[in-house]
Amino acid sequence: MRLGVLALLVAVWLSLSGPYTLHEWLILAFGVVSVLFVWRLYLALDRAAGGGSEFFRASSWLRLPRFLVAFALKVAAANLHTTKLILAPKIDLQPRLRRVPASQKTSFGQVLYANFITLTPGTITLDLRDDELLVYALDAESEGDVMDGSMDRDVLRLEGGPD
Amino acid sequence: MNGALDIVTAVLLVAGGFFCVVGGIGLHRFSDFYQRTHAASVTDTAGAGLMLLGLMVQGGLSMVTLKLVLVLAFLLFSSPAIAHALVKAAHGHGLALELDDPGKDGDAAG
Repeated sequence: MRLGVLALLVAVWLSLSGPYTLHEWLILAFGVVSVLFVWRLYLALDRAAGGGSEFFRASSWLRLPRFLVAFALKVAAANLHTTKLILAPKIDLQPRLRRVPASQKTSFGQVLYANFITLTPGTITLDLRDDELLVYALDAESEGDVMDGSMDRDVLRLEGGPD
Repeated sequence: MNGALDIVTAVLLVAGGFFCVVGGIGLHRFSDFYQRTHAASVTDTAGAGLMLLGLMVQGGLSMVTLKLVLVLAFLLFSSPAIAHALVKAAHGHGLALELDDPGKDGDAAG
């Protein structure tokens, strides 16, 4: 996993600013220094977080495309609904707070779920505590998108839980 | 550049621009801080996403597209983190939430 992150950082650096001839030794040196620096930061953060990054095993990457499609569809639908609310002749909102269980096993999965909710217009995560999210929603329909648990299942599936 | 791809790009850019404007309108029309964060997230997701998608169509399978994908990925990680930080700070410092059904679930949450 740690070496996987190192490989990812090298790949990102190569694709964004890598040297295109090996004679550019200065650029190459900058690259090595910056990659090692960011990797060092990652190791420190991973330790501080108690090692939550076991989430992404190889099998999770295989499930990623399906998750991204589900994610894009839900965000698109929520955008259309929120756009309707914004452009309605009369602003008519019934804001509400709800506690939502986050059933993911890893902390990374729970954060991913919380971010999923926040990225969906109409719902935003206020707090994450004791495997429970505090979600603020604009109206009943936005609330329903979260309360029906389908987003929770999307993240669970990515995590490798029951389909 | 292929004509059909140009049209796809144009449609995506205009649609992205539309959602950016909608987000801005919502920012003004909604009445309190928490509601306004929802309007801003329309700009972050639909607005930026459609525009980047439109530019990717122009880039084709190239380094440019790879960079655009990375921009989108970074945006999708950073924007919810920022939105959450803002809202949590406001909530933690006691900025009142206007709720339609106070007491049912919300007050216990403070």
